[in-house]
Amino acid sequence: MDDIGNLIGIIQVVFWLLAGGMSFYFSIGNARVWTSISVGFFLIFLSQFYLLAPWADYTRLEAVHYIIGTVAIMVMTHGFQEYYVFSRTLDIGGSKAAVYLGTLGVICVSSVFIFINPEPTYSVLRNIKMIENASWVFLAVINIDLIRKIYAQIRDSVISKGFVAFGIVFFFIFLWKGSELYLQVFCWDNDWHIFATNNGIADTVELYSDRIAFSVLVNQIGGMLSALSVGGTFIYLYRLLR
Amino acid sequence: MFLLPKGNPLYENIPAAKIKLPEMLEKLKSGNFTGYLNFTFPSSAAILFFESGKLISALLERGTTRQTGFEAMAGLCNNIMAGGGSLNVYRLSKDLTMGLHALLHGEMLYRGQEVKLIDIKGLLEKVKAKRLNGCLRIYTEDRSALIFYKDGAPLGFFHDGTQDIDTSASESQKIAGLPGAKIDVLSTQSADELMDYDLLEMVNIDKLWGSTETRYAAEMNQMKRDGQEREVKERDSRLKELEEDLKEVASAYLGKMGRTLVEKELGGVGGRESLQKEESVITFLAGVEKSAKLLTSLSKLKEMVDTMKSEISSRAKA
Repeated sequence: MDDIGNLIGIIQVVFWLLAGGMSFYFSIGNARVWTSISVGFFLIFLSQFYLLAPWADYTRLEAVHYIIGTVAIMVMTHGFQEYYVFSRTLDIGGSKAAVYLGTLGVICVSSVFIFINPEPTYSVLRNIKMIENASWVFLAVINIDLIRKIYAQIRDSVISKGFVAFGIVFFFIFLWKGSELYLQVFCWDNDWHIFATNNGIADTVELYSDRIAFSVLVNQIGGMLSALSVGGTFIYLYRLLR
Repeated sequence: MFLLPKGNPLYENIPAAKIKLPEMLEKLKSGNFTGYLNFTFPSSAAILFFESGKLISALLERGTTRQTGFEAMAGLCNNIMAGGGSLNVYRLSKDLTMGLHALLHGEMLYRGQEVKLIDIKGLLEKVKAKRLNGCLRIYTEDRSALIFYKDGAPLGFFHDGTQDIDTSASESQKIAGLPGAKIDVLSTQSADELMDYDLLEMVNIDKLWGSTETRYAAEMNQMKRDGQEREVKERDSRLKELEEDLKEVASAYLGKMGRTLVEKELGGVGGRESLQKEESVITFLAGVEKSAKLLTSLSKLKEMVDTMKSEISSRAKA
């Protein structure tokens, strides 16, 4: 089961690589608002990348990956908020460089924060991962609402269908991250299982194996569909805006 | 309008608008001019008779309306200010001037008498006996002749198609012999009596000219202002139409946000009037382009901006 999970994880990373590459390429030739959104999606790839890295067991680096994941959804949300403001006021401000440098700055500061503190234990890593998932779930819902409002404003423009696609993306992301958060909240996730086993703590995994299996399935399918839909959305957007 | 003998032409076809009437009349007065001034305007004509520098009569004819004296002078000033007319000045003898004066201002002794029904010889005898000063007009529907008299003696003849006084009566006799020929007899005072009357003494030409000039200047200013206002209104309406069309173009390419975008960017450069300035148009289009990038494809964006550019360049300054 774990092997299949790892394989699916690696396939997800490959999909995110494609989606991240596509979104980063998209950000280069387009307006600043798209920069935030596409850089955010590109960061998802970086946040998943640790699964492929040979130094995956290096906990500080793993913590940085989780933080990058959190920054990813925040940057994306910032982009959608900017687009929403634009759709209401037609005001566009700031520069693309500020987005790149700002994002890089936040990641660097977070990394410094991780490196000046004691090396994270599995329990700490799990906490950071939980924070990341909670951010994703909450901001995915916020973004779906923002996208709905943006769509209402620009429904008769060329780009409007692209936002419908983003709505679908965030729905898959909600399932992907939400299912993982659900498992974490009830201590049914793999990290907790290892921690509990090592420390002789009893868990309820056996008791709720069906819903845990279902949640894991939703997490894996949601993750793949998220990556696929992000890649597809950016290709679609690229064609719309060409 | 008035077909009169030309005598000795002093000036012909002078544009009336160039004339300073008070100065001209003063010159004629000081030069003891005898003759007449014939003004021709697009819809009226005026005749001023002078005897030895005295303006003995003024007549202004507009269609079927005739004005004399002060009214004629006031009307003449108006017509000169309005422009478009011309002036001819002819020097004549005192007697002929008197005859022409009779023709235009004289008392009508006989009107439209059929020649064949009256005793022409008897009439001429009567003219002679009464020492008539004036003029006989013999005419048919398409021909006419004038015979001028002084103290009952003929001074000369004037016929259609001629410009000067003739001494031969043959043409007048021919017309009198035509079927349906009629005769008018007009009398006037003698030349010396006419000279008792001088319009230049009675009418303050300087004041009349000055007030007409002032009124015309005010009217011209008003017309200019009206013209400018009309121009501003027309330009505003043209720009309003252009703004509406730009919104339509933006709406077709960007949806309803296109209209708002055009409104916002136009507001940013100072309103629709700024579409007449090249720099503002560049700023406006750059603003539209920047925002429209977030709403449509690059190919459509280029098409939209090109359409807007061509609309502005063909209509904003037209």
